[in-house]
Amino acid sequence: MRSMSGLVTGFLFSAVTVFAISFASLNTKLSGTVVAGMLWVALLFSAASSLPRTFLAEEEMGTADLLRLVARPHAVFWGKALFNIFQCVVTSTLLSILYLGFTSAAVPIPWLFGLSLFAGCVSLAGAVTLCGAIAAQAANRAMLAAAIAVPLLLPLVAIGVGGMRTSLGDGALSSGGSASAIGLIGYAVATLATGPYIFAAVWKT
Amino acid sequence: MLKVDRLGKKYSGRWIFRGLTFELGQGDRLVILGRNGSGKSTLLRTIAGLTDKTEGTVTLPDGDPRHMLGLCALEQSVYAQLTVEEHLELTADLRGCPARIEELLEKIDLAYARDVLASHLSTGMKARLKLAMAIQANPVALLLDEPGAGLDEAGRNLVARITAEQAERGCLVVATNDPIERRLANLELELAV
Repeated sequence: MRSMSGLVTGFLFSAVTVFAISFASLNTKLSGTVVAGMLWVALLFSAASSLPRTFLAEEEMGTADLLRLVARPHAVFWGKALFNIFQCVVTSTLLSILYLGFTSAAVPIPWLFGLSLFAGCVSLAGAVTLCGAIAAQAANRAMLAAAIAVPLLLPLVAIGVGGMRTSLGDGALSSGGSASAIGLIGYAVATLATGPYIFAAVWKT
Repeated sequence: MLKVDRLGKKYSGRWIFRGLTFELGQGDRLVILGRNGSGKSTLLRTIAGLTDKTEGTVTLPDGDPRHMLGLCALEQSVYAQLTVEEHLELTADLRGCPARIEELLEKIDLAYARDVLASHLSTGMKARLKLAMAIQANPVALLLDEPGAGLDEAGRNLVARITAEQAERGCLVVATNDPIERRLANLELELAV
């Protein structure tokens, strides 16, 4: 926590993305679908650029061995995942406030927007934590992290955009919005329930 | 207390060591000798489970391996942004053992630096901290890789005291080429390149 580099990196990336989108769409009314898609792209890249650092830094600093010697894999996973969730929620909340402010987008269903954002952050953080843990031990870390992240995160982005576009007024709650919200919660639960076991299998090797 | 049976490690198609078999009981102090690159550190890492073994087995007494085994290695790092005391608190919390902070700080003579960040510690002070973390859970098997490296005369005396205490509690494996550290042991194993 004393090194806030991850938080700062994630937020700076997100802020630059928001400004770029805002300038590009100046004087243009964006649809809920476009706003949701853009916001999720920013969230995804913000998370992918900062969250895997929690494990990569352990390997690069040489402290991973100390952790392996003294900690249970489940404790390491939960510690990293909870920190990443906190970081992702803080960054995403700030990003969303900025983004909605700059694009002047209305949020007709705020509870669905909040739920999509929170469940999306938990899912993103859990999945990216796992990707980081697996990739950290490989020689070609960056390529492996990307290769693992694409199949894990694409369905999440699709579900997340679906929920958020409904909350922004595109699409009816009954025709997909609720299903997206349930899907996001399911993804978050599945990631956090299976994560510690997958992590335990890769951590010692 | 520590049984190694036909242990082998292959790396990039070459056997670093193979067919290593030994059993250490209470009071046994084994020193592993060998030229640079002979695999001394790799052997300790393999025994500790930090590196996958290619063949063979390593057996410790029943119980939590985080309490049974301690490792202090030259290349091991500490957290730059934690203090000496926070390191001991963290490792105790994660292991689920008593922190024994006062006792350990006194033993390694770092009580005066308890609030100093690890990034501000000298090489010798970091070596003392790593020793403290390795013995915190009173392990039955203690593995030391070049324990005297970076330590002054007082630090080397500290290593001698810790190895003597370990011999009373369990067994000790030291990887070194230092003639002084060689005297810490009563058993020798030499690895060929």
